[in-house]
Amino acid sequence: MIVAAESCDIEGGIVCTPSNVNELFVFKPIFYIGETGISRTHFLILFAAFLVVVFLFAGLRKKSVVPSKIQSVVESLVTLVREDIAMSVIGKGGEAYVPYLLSIFMFILVGNLFEVAPLINFPITSRIAIPLLLSLITYVLFLVAGIRKQGKEYFTHLIWPPGLPVALKPLVGLIEFASTLIVRPVSLAVRLFANLVAGHLMLSLLLVSGYFFIYQNGVWPVPGKIPIGVAWYVFGLAIYGFEIVVSVLQAYIFTLLSAVYIQTSLHPEH
Amino acid sequence: MEELAAEVVVNGYALIGYGAAAIGPGVGIGIIVGNAVQAMARQPEAAGMVRTTMFLGIAFTEAIALIGFVLFFLV
Repeated sequence: MIVAAESCDIEGGIVCTPSNVNELFVFKPIFYIGETGISRTHFLILFAAFLVVVFLFAGLRKKSVVPSKIQSVVESLVTLVREDIAMSVIGKGGEAYVPYLLSIFMFILVGNLFEVAPLINFPITSRIAIPLLLSLITYVLFLVAGIRKQGKEYFTHLIWPPGLPVALKPLVGLIEFASTLIVRPVSLAVRLFANLVAGHLMLSLLLVSGYFFIYQNGVWPVPGKIPIGVAWYVFGLAIYGFEIVVSVLQAYIFTLLSAVYIQTSLHPEH
Repeated sequence: MEELAAEVVVNGYALIGYGAAAIGPGVGIGIIVGNAVQAMARQPEAAGMVRTTMFLGIAFTEAIALIGFVLFFLV
């Protein structure tokens, strides 16, 4: 974006129209395999998966009773997912879902933290692919869990909860159908996606604006613009701190909601 | 030039729309967290469960605000 701003002709026109916001998210492909372009995003996704595997492996390799530092960090993360998310939300039968919940929690956490990592400032979850895929996997998982637990009457119990007056059936059926089978996966994906897109957009715009106002391409620098640049930059740094909180929180919320959806399939009486 | 003006106008309306759509979830999240703080003050032993439920409630109400945010960029 700074390159695009530098090519802006200040003397020719009064207004330099900024390019599309897509430029912040869609990168040029580095090489092509057949028809698909492989760009920086693909490498970052693979790198995130690799980091998760290496981190968990390094922490759990030597299971000594007195844990070393990495082992205690990994243990605390696994305990968080296992106790606070799986066992306390799903209850009985939650053990089976701990590997899945741990995987998505770690992957989304690392993917989100790429936003604030120094050289990689691009969250892989800010493209709809990763949130959508994980949300669809959770969707299939809780539907299959419900069908296995309750058999064929899972859907009828889902749409018309038992003990419902007959007169209300059409209306409540429609509401429950939309709320469970449509809104749940979509909102799960969009919540993660939109939070990360908003964060990346704000960080990019604020920090680059601060830089641009302070340096002003070196052509006709106006000293009055420098305080504005500093203000934007400081605000950008504040948002940077906020982004760290949002990254961790959104990973936690995604995993927690997945556990809640699985719980409503396994124990519908709640 | 006309195209640019039309695009700016449409973006302006989309921005007002998003602003109006963000009022509801803002109030909603405030109510949720306020009640959660009260519950935690009344019974500190239940703080963990209250906190978890609070996060769940925030996630659901924030989803509505985020749908508005995404639609702003779609327009």
